[in-house]
Amino acid sequence: MATLTETPASYESLIVERLDYTPQMLPPREPTAAEDETRRHYLNHDYSLFGWLFTVDHKRIGLMYLVAVSVFFLFGGIAAGLVRTNLITPTGAILELDQYNKAFTAHGTIMLFLFLIPVIPGVLGNFLVPIMIGAKDMAFPKLNLASFYVWFFGALFFVYQLLVGGLDTGWTLYPPYSSKYSHTNVLYAGLGIFITGFSSILSGLNIIATVHKMRCPGMTWGRLPLFVWAMYATSVIQLLGTPVLAVTVVMLAVEKLFGIGIFDPTIGGDPLLFQHMFWFYSHPAVYIMILPGMGVINEVLTCFSRKNIFGYKAVAWSSVGIAVVGFLVWGHHMFLAGQGYYLGMVFALLTMLVAVPSAIKVFNWTATLYGGVISFQAPMIFTLGFIVLFTVGGLTGLFLGTMGTDIHLHDTYFVIAHFHYTMVGGMMFAWQAGLHFWWPKITGKMYSDFWSRLAAIVMLVGFALTFLPQFVVGYLGMPRRYPNYPPEFQIYNVLSTGAAYIQGLGYAMPIFYLTASLFFGKKAGNNPYRATGLEWQTTSPPEAHNFPETPTVYFGPYEYGVEDGLRIVDDLERTAKPSSNGVYATANQGVTSGH
Amino acid sequence: MFAVMETPPILPQSASEFAQQYDLLFWYMMGVTVAGGAVVYIGLIAMCFLFAKRSETQKPMRILGSTKLEVIWTVIPLLFFLSFFVWGVRLWDVAINPPKEATEKEYLVVGKQWMWKIQDPQGLRHINEMTLKINEYVKVTGTSEDVIHDYGVPAFRSKFDVVPGRYTAAWYKPTLTGTYHLFCDQYCGQGHSQMVGKIHVLSEGHFESWQQGILRTADHKRPVDGSPAWQGRLLFHKLQCNGCHFSQSPDDPTPPKAPNLEQLWMTKRELSDGRTISADAEYIRNAIRNPTMHVRSGWKPIMPAYHTGLATENDLYNLIAYVRSLKPGNLPYRTEKSPTPIGGAPAISQDNPAPLPAPKEGGK
Repeated sequence: MATLTETPASYESLIVERLDYTPQMLPPREPTAAEDETRRHYLNHDYSLFGWLFTVDHKRIGLMYLVAVSVFFLFGGIAAGLVRTNLITPTGAILELDQYNKAFTAHGTIMLFLFLIPVIPGVLGNFLVPIMIGAKDMAFPKLNLASFYVWFFGALFFVYQLLVGGLDTGWTLYPPYSSKYSHTNVLYAGLGIFITGFSSILSGLNIIATVHKMRCPGMTWGRLPLFVWAMYATSVIQLLGTPVLAVTVVMLAVEKLFGIGIFDPTIGGDPLLFQHMFWFYSHPAVYIMILPGMGVINEVLTCFSRKNIFGYKAVAWSSVGIAVVGFLVWGHHMFLAGQGYYLGMVFALLTMLVAVPSAIKVFNWTATLYGGVISFQAPMIFTLGFIVLFTVGGLTGLFLGTMGTDIHLHDTYFVIAHFHYTMVGGMMFAWQAGLHFWWPKITGKMYSDFWSRLAAIVMLVGFALTFLPQFVVGYLGMPRRYPNYPPEFQIYNVLSTGAAYIQGLGYAMPIFYLTASLFFGKKAGNNPYRATGLEWQTTSPPEAHNFPETPTVYFGPYEYGVEDGLRIVDDLERTAKPSSNGVYATANQGVTSGH
Repeated sequence: MFAVMETPPILPQSASEFAQQYDLLFWYMMGVTVAGGAVVYIGLIAMCFLFAKRSETQKPMRILGSTKLEVIWTVIPLLFFLSFFVWGVRLWDVAINPPKEATEKEYLVVGKQWMWKIQDPQGLRHINEMTLKINEYVKVTGTSEDVIHDYGVPAFRSKFDVVPGRYTAAWYKPTLTGTYHLFCDQYCGQGHSQMVGKIHVLSEGHFESWQQGILRTADHKRPVDGSPAWQGRLLFHKLQCNGCHFSQSPDDPTPPKAPNLEQLWMTKRELSDGRTISADAEYIRNAIRNPTMHVRSGWKPIMPAYHTGLATENDLYNLIAYVRSLKPGNLPYRTEKSPTPIGGAPAISQDNPAPLPAPKEGGK
């Protein structure tokens, strides 16, 4: 490595103040119209089909994920619409019993395996992680493409199985129902899940390698954007958890195909073994779903309140804490399943512990707003919506993680409402926040301010009204997965269904105004929100290799509050002189590898 | 469609002793979480108003964090969460440990796609209906014939998974008369939502007259039924269990081929592989369904397995009840014929509650 020519500012020191920066509060310099006309970037450097299908550019792969997950979200949404519409009447409005069972299973499995798990890691993670750490691409670009195709074909195969025969086991696939009694495509659907799982493993590996080895000079662990921290924690879970799911699915298949008694008690198996193995993956999987969303929230919240994140270390370590402790709480799904008393007690205690990092995050987000300059564009409305809804989701989770209260609430609509508040109110809103926040960076175009804010509000209201009645009806005792229910519960179901249509309208709106922005939107410029992240210091859309030259980083990711503001890339040469061998100065702390 | 909608309840009825204890914890947690949520919401709203952007030149503060605050909002929630945990475990303790009175009135529920087979302590079987006397402790033991089901009674705040191959249990002490929902809460296939039933809680007088109407009577006017142990005794002969498990008669030199089952219940049993195991319901159940699982030390593993075609879940339960009731001298001889079948003799009345066969004279 090069000799050090200047000590870069450490994160919390005051050295930043004596550096000479162009005020960051002013918009950065934009390319002139003439420059813009001729500029080559990742979208227009190659128009061939081959150039898209076999690209190893992480940004193009991210866009391919975007298209694919959007289509799968539509499928999952249609299934949700069928389920909710059917529940308008106590005897099932439109579907037969079997159809209903297949519809809710399709909704659950598609939304989980084909939308929530891949959406932020696949789209935003792919697009942003390399740019945020100042790298040219992922550590393994070809593996990245491979993991997209593995996921995509696995997903297509899975959806095909749902369409031709269906799956009626619920996403939990509990034997002996799934292994012995279900007449649907358990085996092939399981194969689909098995295949998509490999993509999860490979993507996780790739992100971990990228974060470890590809950070640009000066990008220390203490300066990583919190989105990258969250993606890192998520990847660790994916790498460690997904193989267990794969093994479980294989064991299920072995029992079904060869009659080897693993889970079926009549041939010597134990159905609880499946539940242990399933939740060993599937509980951490809910953190695979929510952690990237939390990462997005950090980025958006700081930008629109012009503030440093409150308690960077607390937020970063709480992600890691969730990832680690999240592995040890799976048994709280099984309190009533007949697992041992002391086992349940350990899981309940750890569940209370894993709730703490989430609470820390919420408090830190709220505190971040203090003393800020807050503007309420669409990404910020989504972010505030996230905090509001996730708080409800998190707090209601406590009722389910407490052994005593879980007795009555287990497998009721209370559970449904709880996890929709975290998964949809949390992850879906974080995804929308992230998509709207980085859309100008991804496409170079700005979407309609009015329509995007309206969509955010419609989604928020629709969502809250859909699931609030479900808490009530859940406490009343309505079990989940019931197409027929006692008539006194009807009013809550009608309310819920009505609001679900409003919510559906909200999800449809971005399709129109975001698509319209591609053709009619005004140019976004490099940094429309005047954000500090490294991804905003390059052009919009970024060029094929992200940066003209490898950037060097001198301070933390959220320096919105420095007196005169900061700009990073353009001032590189003024603050850091190249050393004798032409390499820019590197930080003197942490690992600072790059190409 | 909407005209027929019933007036919706807001809160579920609280119809058992446990439900009252449950609601205490629930509303404590509700209070704490609503207060916690309010702190966050008030904070959010206040920040959004106070620090909304008002001019282009407005400057934000540069605040990096505060260790003191981090500690405060780590420790305070943690303390509350731990209080939930501790109280939750205590409530769980109550839920899973039936009081002594409850164990004397034991119901068996067997889940089956898609119905509940319920056998009451008198041995009478009902489908999807359970009738209870107010203020009487009862224990409910459950198992399943096929997939996993869940026996849930919202008004009692009680719920437990019934798992094939295992016994799980709950207990009730109903405190409010009425008819309550019984739901299957664990997804079990096509008819999951139709695997529902009713729990009737009757006042003492009503319960007596209901029993009069349905129960076998002393004057033999209704079909006679037997207690689980009595039915188990019939099965014991029918399945020829006494071909091996018998007490040696004075005029029959054949030695028993299998262990004597008298006073077996809850004793420690030594197994051939060196383990010691407590002879509870699951042990006896496994000994019948899957005999090679636990072989008694000193005996050959010659016991045949009785699969569901030979002994249903109800049969197993009744056999266990029989084994449990065996006192010294109760175990039949090898050659003993089946006792009087159901429908024949001894009626069980209030005066004669003992459902067990009288000990043989001169027994072992």
